[in-house]
Amino acid sequence: MKQIVILAAVILALSASLAAHHSAIQFDFTNSKAVTGVVKKFIAINPHMQLVLHVKDAKGERDIEFEGHSTNNMYRAGYRDNMIKVGDTITVYIAPLKDGSDGGYVTAALTANGTRFGMRSRAELEQERLKAEGKK
Amino acid sequence: MKTSIILFATCVSLISSPAWAQQPDFTGVWTTYNDPGQGPGGGGRGGGPPLPMTDAAKQKVAKYQALVQPTGDTPGGYCLGTGMPGSMLGSGGYPMEIVQRPEQIMIVYEAHNEVRRVYLGDRIVPEADRLPGRNGHSSARWDGNTLVVETGNLVEQVDQRYAHSAKAKIVERYHLEKGAKGETVLVADMTMTDPEFYTAPVTAVKKWAKVPNGHLLPYECAEENWIKHLEQLENKAGAKK
Repeated sequence: MKQIVILAAVILALSASLAAHHSAIQFDFTNSKAVTGVVKKFIAINPHMQLVLHVKDAKGERDIEFEGHSTNNMYRAGYRDNMIKVGDTITVYIAPLKDGSDGGYVTAALTANGTRFGMRSRAELEQERLKAEGKK
Repeated sequence: MKTSIILFATCVSLISSPAWAQQPDFTGVWTTYNDPGQGPGGGGRGGGPPLPMTDAAKQKVAKYQALVQPTGDTPGGYCLGTGMPGSMLGSGGYPMEIVQRPEQIMIVYEAHNEVRRVYLGDRIVPEADRLPGRNGHSSARWDGNTLVVETGNLVEQVDQRYAHSAKAKIVERYHLEKGAKGETVLVADMTMTDPEFYTAPVTAVKKWAKVPNGHLLPYECAEENWIKHLEQLENKAGAKK
């Protein structure tokens, strides 16, 4: 429970810092979506990590560009050097674009070896709360 | 004989009570501290009650906000540091590092590698030799265990929560106290006066918790834009072939 409270505080703090730092007007932070693909490009950088995934889904096969939290924020949420390499199959958790097109803002990732880093989005926290209460 | 006595007395005085050795040491890495029950942000970012702005200042801020609101642009999005007092009140939620010497205190905010130099005593830059900037010029003195930092030589800024004119003066009073769990907490009480922008002094409190053996991370904000620029150059070069 204590960990959840701390995590929630971290997420809210990071969300606030995000709002203070960079225009994220195009992303819908009330929603969360998981996208799995093969890494074509990954740059751990500030202020926003850069990622291109090769994705196959119902819409077809294509490359999708993402950006995400700063490397520094991700580092403090578990990211370490070389966790993501070109060719890895990973899942990213994103705040999708408001217009529904491909792409989004990466808030967390599940690496090829199953390590998760990053923050749970507000939407994920809400989903977990509802699940815990048996409402979803 | 008389000279020897004076020298001896001076040495004893210096050895027994060096003024700087009595002051608290703020050296270390600090992260935003929230009192129990307080929301995140440490009281320095966004929101809060309306500030007592003059009509002229309100117009300037409204003009700026109308400009950036459609895109959500911020100075940070262009790798520009927040500037005082936003740099010390928020700094994007990232930690800061303080390196303290008797004559100078360096404050490095991780976000954008924003640096403040706070000068004491003879290190204080003469007024005529100062250049204005977003963090201005900061001079300090000790008032007991409290560090009093006075900042002026600022430039007008409408692009932060605590907008101000170039005539703004900011006083920060720093002291140490214990947090709810016994952690070391650095407290800054900030007062900004600015007759052009405010009808009354603006005050805020910011608190940080010490990060034991903490380290700041590198933050090369412009690298992203540089990489994108190189990619554009590569694309252009590729198109010509």
